[in-house]
Amino acid sequence: MNEFIRIEKLFCSLNKVQVLRNINISLNKSEFVSIIGPNGSGKTTLGKVVSGIIKQDSGDVFIDDKNIKDMSLPEIGRKIGYLFQNPDRQIFAPTVYEELSFAMKYKKTATDIIEKRVNEILNIFELSHLRDASTYSLSQGEKQRLALGAMLLNDPEYLILDEPTTGLDPKRKYELSKLLDSMVNRVGILLISHDKAFVLKHSHRIIELYDGSIINDKKN
Amino acid sequence: MIKKIDPRVKLLIVMCISSLGLAFTRMPMLLAVFLTGMLLSQVLKADLFMLIKRIRIILYLFAVLVIIQSIFVRSGDSLINIGSITILTTEGLSRGLAYLMRVLIILISGAIIATCDMRGLIQGLVQMKLPYDFAFMTSIGIKFLPLLMEELKDTLTAIQLRGIDIKSLPLKERTEIISYIFTPVFAGALTKAKKLSLSVECRGFRAFDKRTSILILKFSPVDYLAITLTFLLTATLIAANQYFI
Ligand SMILES: Nc1ncnc2c1ncn2[C@@H]1O[C@H](COP(=O)(O)OP(=O)(O)OP(=O)(O)O)[C@@H](O)[C@H]1O
Ligand SMILES: [Mg+2]
Repeated sequence: MNEFIRIEKLFCSLNKVQVLRNINISLNKSEFVSIIGPNGSGKTTLGKVVSGIIKQDSGDVFIDDKNIKDMSLPEIGRKIGYLFQNPDRQIFAPTVYEELSFAMKYKKTATDIIEKRVNEILNIFELSHLRDASTYSLSQGEKQRLALGAMLLNDPEYLILDEPTTGLDPKRKYELSKLLDSMVNRVGILLISHDKAFVLKHSHRIIELYDGSIINDKKN
Repeated sequence: MIKKIDPRVKLLIVMCISSLGLAFTRMPMLLAVFLTGMLLSQVLKADLFMLIKRIRIILYLFAVLVIIQSIFVRSGDSLINIGSITILTTEGLSRGLAYLMRVLIILISGAIIATCDMRGLIQGLVQMKLPYDFAFMTSIGIKFLPLLMEELKDTLTAIQLRGIDIKSLPLKERTEIISYIFTPVFAGALTKAKKLSLSVECRGFRAFDKRTSILILKFSPVDYLAITLTFLLTATLIAANQYFI
């Protein structure tokens, strides 16, 4: 039993509209799982419920055998890294450097370690030249990379990535591809994406949502 | 019937109670304005409950302000003491309460305005000879408010998901984080405003000086009655303030 996330009989509605119907999924850390499905099928909503941002109507979600009903957002955030579909939503610091160092600063990490790790991420995501740039003027792809980098600095055990490839140029997409490859088996990954090639390339398993229900769940 | 009350009348009512609320200084009069406002908001079917639910977060801030106002006023007789230190004086208490009343009056005014439909409200402002640009800006502002609230919530979520437990941080760091929550929202609002103005220009806003409108507001007998009552009530309250208390 090395399942990390367990979703049981999950129902969720937003503004009285039923968005998720009877979702049952088990996910473990050694798997790369993708969720696909048309616009509005509930992919983002599912990701948000699992990371505690939206409350479900009924059913349960367990992370590491702990019901998320008994977990606070920070507690969930320390285990799961959630990448918002719209990176604007999760970038809040005025400069790139502050955005990356934010969490470590409040966790009282030593300054030299913060410096080292931020530089590492700046290199990986090719953001070094933007270190002191204002986050509001970044391009879409730069924001996407910054959001990813900030999330990884949190050392999550599991990643939920909502459309991480949107706005990335082919080269950056390839870099992301390599990065994800290097993390597979260490960190579990749940990818939400319309990018068929990207999904097929990485996934061990593909789950298809349609109108809030799982219509397909198969090995790739 | 009540639902059809002209937005201009509602604006008048709101102007009256909020200016009285700001002009009066004595507690009994403020209470009277507050009660009048309550009564009117009920007659106009304003949803006070919904309003309170929406601004829950800000209510804490108001509560803190009321307490600060009360504690820092030193004049008057002492009411609560700890040892030889006076915590609360009569004057402090009455100032705090007066402040609370004013906030409540403004909130009620907001709830009354919220019963107007947006289109009617703009048309009301325009027909009161306010330039259309201003009326339009007002309506945009009101429309964006819930969006801003949503963004505030999102940022708060994003910060917490980085594993930061805001509640367990010491006060100084907690205030620092508040600035982190507000900056993106204001910066975002500015960007949005820029985009909006561009898109509005693109669609030919202000291409012609004169705008016509399908919707034209007309006062009904009920509206005239409501206006008269509003003036009477306002006059009574002012008179009471001058002569009785
Ligand atoms: N706050 C909300 N209130 C009401 N309905 C909502 C809300 N948020 C989302 N929905 C609806 O829920 C459904 C699922 O939305 P969701 O964002 O999960 O879709 P998605 O699968 O991520 O789509 P996309 O591929 O476009 O990202 C949609 O029909 C959407 O209109
Ligand atoms: Mg989505």
